[in-house]
Amino acid sequence: MMIEKKVKIINKAGLHTRPAATIVKMASKYKCDFFINRDGMSINGKSIIGVMTLAAEMGSELTLVFDGEDEQQAAEEIVSYFERGFDEL
Amino acid sequence: MIKIDEKNIVRKEFITVKFLYEHASKICKLKLVTKEHNLENKIIDQNLHRPGLALAGFVDLFSYTRVQVYGNTELRYLEKLNDEQRRHSLRRVFEFNIPCIVITDGNKPDSIFLEEAAKFGVPIFTTEFSTTKLVYLLSDFLDDQFAPRLTVHGSFVDVYGVGILFMGKSGIGKSEVTLDLIERGHRLVADDVIILTKKGEGILMGTGTDLGKHFMEIRGLGIIDVERMFGIRAIRYQKRLEIIVELEIWNDSSDYTRTGLDGRTLPIMDVEIPYVKLPILPGKNITVISEVIALNYLLKHYGYDSAHIFQERLAEKLKAKTSNDNRGINYFEHDFE
Repeated sequence: MMIEKKVKIINKAGLHTRPAATIVKMASKYKCDFFINRDGMSINGKSIIGVMTLAAEMGSELTLVFDGEDEQQAAEEIVSYFERGFDEL
Repeated sequence: MIKIDEKNIVRKEFITVKFLYEHASKICKLKLVTKEHNLENKIIDQNLHRPGLALAGFVDLFSYTRVQVYGNTELRYLEKLNDEQRRHSLRRVFEFNIPCIVITDGNKPDSIFLEEAAKFGVPIFTTEFSTTKLVYLLSDFLDDQFAPRLTVHGSFVDVYGVGILFMGKSGIGKSEVTLDLIERGHRLVADDVIILTKKGEGILMGTGTDLGKHFMEIRGLGIIDVERMFGIRAIRYQKRLEIIVELEIWNDSSDYTRTGLDGRTLPIMDVEIPYVKLPILPGKNITVISEVIALNYLLKHYGYDSAHIFQERLAEKLKAKTSNDNRGINYFEHDFE
């Protein structure tokens, strides 16, 4: 099983350092693999450099991929954080 | 064995003429002689084309999607024609949707050439390089641009000149091993996000991203700038991928190689890369083992395969049937040091 979710960056500042760190922290709690894909680039969502490397600005579209035993919980928490615009709306 | 997800292999579908101009003009000494029109034309083919036959009128099978190279042959031919014929000949070619033209050997387009190019919106570059040299340089640039790429997660280090990519789960200690190697004088290529590009047959080149270049994260510490901290000797921009080392927590059911005779490889974009799976155990110095992996690779490269030599020695011993006399030295001389 694997969960794939498309998300859009909706906050003004984009995926900057603070949300990147928060995402990595959230993801690291879970056992499942977590990847973020953008324009054919696939990075590990548990690494801060990786997430920052995406340089995802407002309006960009990402695909989140969760794979592993607790993927359901991980997907719920992280997707909701994206949908809340990293609590910056 | 580690899974490499190849569904994310990307290959550029096109580059714009503008991109070519911005990135290859220095290498190929390109000068734009038309106005900056149609620089958004797309180049979709890495090959080049010399349009001699097309200019002469044979336009069946004309490879018009390629960058067109006009050398001495094409220019001399056009010079031989009168104005009317030249205009006609150029028009016949320009009617196709060609991306751009490069005129080599310091040749210059005449006024009719420029007029027609402006009318059809064809960008023209000149270069002082000979056709052969230009074709060589430009092909190499285009080959690289259109080569398949894949991003992988890991740490990529040059150890004694051997490109080792450390892979494994998050938090297993790839970055720590890398930092240790840098401290011992080896060079970081990239940490975390590695972009592999297939060059030719059987070669993968690895580099980092432009943003993440030579930064790395050490858990519990945060982000560090390796170039600033350790200096220019501690980094490099690109390296051929030669060995993949997968780190994993010791696993009783995992099948670790004992003799090294099996020569395991991992296919990435159809290139077989030597592959080592290293279990992590307390007291095990992964850094030193990585250096040994690199040295062993170099020995093999220069024709000495330790595991094979040992195997041969065993075979000889078995043949000679002298296995009861197995001390490393036959006789200790009067030297009790």
